[in-house]
Amino acid sequence: MTKEDVQGATEEEQQAQSKKALKKQQKEAEKAAKKAEKQAKQAAEQQSTEEDDFAKDRYGVSAMVQSQQKLDRTLVRVQDLTAEKADQLIWLRARVHTSRAKGKQCFLVLRQQQFNVQALVAVGDRASKQMVKFAANITKESIVDVEAAVRKVEQKIESCSQQDVELHIERIFVISQAEARLPLQLEDAVRPDGDGEEEGRATVNQDTKLDNRVIDLRTTTSQAIFRLQSGVCQLFRDTLTQKGFVEIQTPKIISAASEGGANVFTVSYFKTSAYLAQSPQLYKQMCICADFDKVFCVGPVFRAEDSNTHRHLTEFVGLDIEMAFNYHYHEVIDSITDTMVQIFKGLRDNFQTEIQTVNKQFPSEPFKFLEPTLRLEYTEAVAMLHEAGVEMGDEDDLSTPNEKLLGRLVKEKYDTDFYVLDKYPLAVRPFYTMPDPNNPKYSNSYDMFMRGEEILSGAQRIHDAQLLTDRATHHQIDLEKIKAYIDSFRYGAPPHGGGGIGLERVCMLYLGLHNVRQTSMFPRDPKRLTP
Amino acid sequence: MALRELASLEKYLGLKKPNKYSTQGDKKVPVLQNNNGPPLVGQVTIACHLVKEAKRAELLGDGAEGRAVVQQWLEYKVTKLDCCCKEDIKTILKDLNLYLQDKVYLAGNQFTVADTLMYYGIHPLIVDLAIQEKEQYVNVTRWFDHIQHYPGVRHHLPPVVVLRNRIYTGRLH
Repeated sequence: MTKEDVQGATEEEQQAQSKKALKKQQKEAEKAAKKAEKQAKQAAEQQSTEEDDFAKDRYGVSAMVQSQQKLDRTLVRVQDLTAEKADQLIWLRARVHTSRAKGKQCFLVLRQQQFNVQALVAVGDRASKQMVKFAANITKESIVDVEAAVRKVEQKIESCSQQDVELHIERIFVISQAEARLPLQLEDAVRPDGDGEEEGRATVNQDTKLDNRVIDLRTTTSQAIFRLQSGVCQLFRDTLTQKGFVEIQTPKIISAASEGGANVFTVSYFKTSAYLAQSPQLYKQMCICADFDKVFCVGPVFRAEDSNTHRHLTEFVGLDIEMAFNYHYHEVIDSITDTMVQIFKGLRDNFQTEIQTVNKQFPSEPFKFLEPTLRLEYTEAVAMLHEAGVEMGDEDDLSTPNEKLLGRLVKEKYDTDFYVLDKYPLAVRPFYTMPDPNNPKYSNSYDMFMRGEEILSGAQRIHDAQLLTDRATHHQIDLEKIKAYIDSFRYGAPPHGGGGIGLERVCMLYLGLHNVRQTSMFPRDPKRLTP
Repeated sequence: MALRELASLEKYLGLKKPNKYSTQGDKKVPVLQNNNGPPLVGQVTIACHLVKEAKRAELLGDGAEGRAVVQQWLEYKVTKLDCCCKEDIKTILKDLNLYLQDKVYLAGNQFTVADTLMYYGIHPLIVDLAIQEKEQYVNVTRWFDHIQHYPGVRHHLPPVVVLRNRIYTGRLH
């Protein structure tokens, strides 16, 4: 190809392009003209009407709240809007969940956390045409202050949590305006899995939800999940405090990994490196050696396992228990299971609304448990699995599918979603696990399961420095690195045991959810560091 | 495979003297040399011959309709089951599950040679099923469990554990 040819070609191209560009420009100009016309028309309309808008003080965008004034105004909570409040004039702050204009009326659904109420602005002696228009144009998720009369309704409003009343708005002010385009629609985010497909409606996938967590957390389901989670923590604390436990705080930056170095995060620590704690294991044991007798700890726990499963996070909240016992480690198991049962009971009795709310989106059977808690020995469990046709060795660890299957078998036989599996093979447990006195192949260790998934791992710990040293050597652990730990048992240590629970897992399994990310507010996994 | 199945069938039928078989072609189609006639080729053909030899004609089905159903399933066994790939398994089990919903045996209320050969053929599929899947195809497993415990049928195949209680009721996890 010669140079000229190339030039000719590009010229042609340019011409073609410029033609296209010209057309585009023309179109844009037309558009702009139309827009300007429309704006002018609107402005004119507004001007002409503004003068005779008798209600112009009753609505608008408020000045930014910079704490200019202390208003003597009581804001009523949406959940308190019941038939009892009928015919009262109240103030309310809420989000605009949806708004729908219909002629001279505008219906709004005002939402506050998991509660919502229907409100309406109608042209009349309190509201003008312009006010209705203004209300209809408030973007979704904006926060508004509303003065309204509570009115009983004849027919229940099925779509709202407050079904007996609606609000007749007399004043409406926007306190914080949301951008018009939301990254996801709240209705789509709470739609049960199957429903969207049938009706051809959108559902939001997990990643989109997590990417826009702040919005997703506003959904009724998320609100309920995290209220319940807070309840779990509170019940855990209350129960243990009542049992005479002391809450402790332990460091998360530690010098040595507690269970081998493979799955810990390393952080640079001035001129050397440190690790993020996999569990407060060593520290709670040291507290026992320091005569604290019964301790618990609620705090972050880190696992550097590169596993992308429905139930693994790299950072989660650990609920850890450690206690000294008198003669048998079953005293510890009983104490922990009783704590769990108290939590389950507390949730069942005090969080029914939240459970129902989550069930609407993620249906599951109610959580079942026995009192006292069912305790199975590992050998019994292996026998049950053998009977169901599973081939596994007596001292093999439980694989995840077998774990789940065992959960099903136990549920079928004993009708419980919560049970303890006792006497694990020594080989599959960490070095500080106390061997079984009757059979050295087994150990005084236990796991607890909810709906067939492990939530707690625990054991009687070795409180004898010599045996501990032997076991650590057997596991090929560098004794230098755990010297401080072993030394703490040299000066008199009581027999003790304990365990650690994952808060997110407990919530997930209690509610019968399918992914631990749903019960972690800002989940961390190998592929997610934000938000 | 087909030869072992025929050997097991012989034992089930109580034939005293085991026959000698050869195979033919890439697909190893079984061939039976017949003393007083031409050789018999193909599993179904040989199976029907063995049944007659054992004087158990009832195993080929009652009446014209019953006989047709038996032939139908024998054919299904050699054409569909014996050369099914992984993707087909689910369809086969689903269809069979639906078919067996209101039947004890493939031909209805009567045990036939079709049950025997279908059992031999479907065994490798059932062995690999997880408990949850066995429960999903509950009619197939019920029929399968019944046949594997039917006197004299199982022979060369290992028994498969089938749970009598449903454990995956309610929503799946």
